[in-house]
Amino acid sequence: MAHTAEHEYTTTGLNHRKMLMWVFLGSDCLFFAALIATYMVYRGQSLVGPYPVDIINVPVTTISTFVLLMSSFAMVQALASTHANNKNAIVGWLMATAILGAIFIGFQIVEFNTFKNEGLTLGGNLFGATFFTLTGFHGAHVTLGIIWLVIMAIVGAKGRLGPDTALDVELLGLYWHFVDIVWIVIFTLLYLIGGFDAGPAALSGG
Amino acid sequence: MAHQTEHTTNHPTFMQYVLIAIVLFAITIVEFVLIWDRAGIVDHLGASKIPLLVGLSAVKFAIVIMYYMHLKFDNRLFGTVFIAGLALAFIVGIALLSLFVAFEGGQRDFAEANAIPYVEHGEEAGGESPDDPPVAAGPVAIAINAVGDAFAFSSTSLSVNSGDEVTVTFDNPSATNSHNFVVVQNGTKDAVAGDGAAAGPGGNWVPAGDSRVIANTVVVAPGGSEQVIFTAPAPGTYQFVCTFPGHNFAMFGDFIVH
Repeated sequence: MAHTAEHEYTTTGLNHRKMLMWVFLGSDCLFFAALIATYMVYRGQSLVGPYPVDIINVPVTTISTFVLLMSSFAMVQALASTHANNKNAIVGWLMATAILGAIFIGFQIVEFNTFKNEGLTLGGNLFGATFFTLTGFHGAHVTLGIIWLVIMAIVGAKGRLGPDTALDVELLGLYWHFVDIVWIVIFTLLYLIGGFDAGPAALSGG
Repeated sequence: MAHQTEHTTNHPTFMQYVLIAIVLFAITIVEFVLIWDRAGIVDHLGASKIPLLVGLSAVKFAIVIMYYMHLKFDNRLFGTVFIAGLALAFIVGIALLSLFVAFEGGQRDFAEANAIPYVEHGEEAGGESPDDPPVAAGPVAIAINAVGDAFAFSSTSLSVNSGDEVTVTFDNPSATNSHNFVVVQNGTKDAVAGDGAAAGPGGNWVPAGDSRVIANTVVVAPGGSEQVIFTAPAPGTYQFVCTFPGHNFAMFGDFIVH
């Protein structure tokens, strides 16, 4: 696969796999837009608690947001190491990215568990349904990315990653950074802006 | 291989990546401080915190896709494909929000205020013809009757203009059943009838002093006729119903005020 890269003819003159990844990321924007818009539509419409203000912990989630941002930094270093053909650095940065991603997921597991104990469930109210669906699908994306990272680290440890196969790492990087930017949006809308929402905006009089 | 070298040198250096990470880190700190109640800034910001936070996040978003995802250095077609998806995602989001949230008073109130009841052709018999030009505010006479001994009104939809002085004449040709004619707020016919049961025949089966009741006749005995005169309320959809216990589930219709 790696050795065919030198003479690859495509109608766009661009690599097909890289184009596929960008098209996928563009379509994944729509996937998350649907979930985010659903959250925003039902924002403040829950008739029973718990409401965001009761349970959302912005300081803790700010820390996990840092962790995810730093994992993106580790990811670009992994790609730079691949171009530089530095095997130990490739494996090290890939594993660092995976571990930072795992820490983020750890924060999310603790958060979900805390919320569950405080009475927020998928079927309990509109806030729970839209919150868990959105952040749960994001967490699933991160988890897939971690698995991909560990597989690539193993491939790298076997000495099969280098300048010729840099595209393999680059595609992983594009996916990982995308998961990061989706979190930037979720963190802003659900935590910084929506994290202080109380009960229903207005109860209907009837 | 020359291409490879060129490709690599186009990318930011290690120090530039570190700088980008610091900027992303700093923006997140700023965002947190903006909304942290102990910092005291959020109280001064009020509603302006939302565009501020959205703007800061958009900057982070742009930095990551431009530098970490190399869109700034890569072929423009990659960026076009991604931005097309992103733009479509924005449109979907804004369309959904407009549909459900942006209407003044919320989507449920909007739907209730604008709902037009579905009336099948041929069901207009006994009611007014829809071709009649609407009469401006003034005296309006409406005649309606119970259908024989059945639990039904002769019309399922009546309409008047807001502010009209409405006179409803209700005939009850039944040989056995008593009925009344009550105009109530939309969706409250069964609740009003339920509460009206406590009022008894002496109270005309209508709860006294109830804000859901717009107007009502007294109970009309078999073969009788009664009138009620009232001013048509604010535009909207209301209901008319017979609140004699049990009749409300069959004898009702829409009272539309234009």
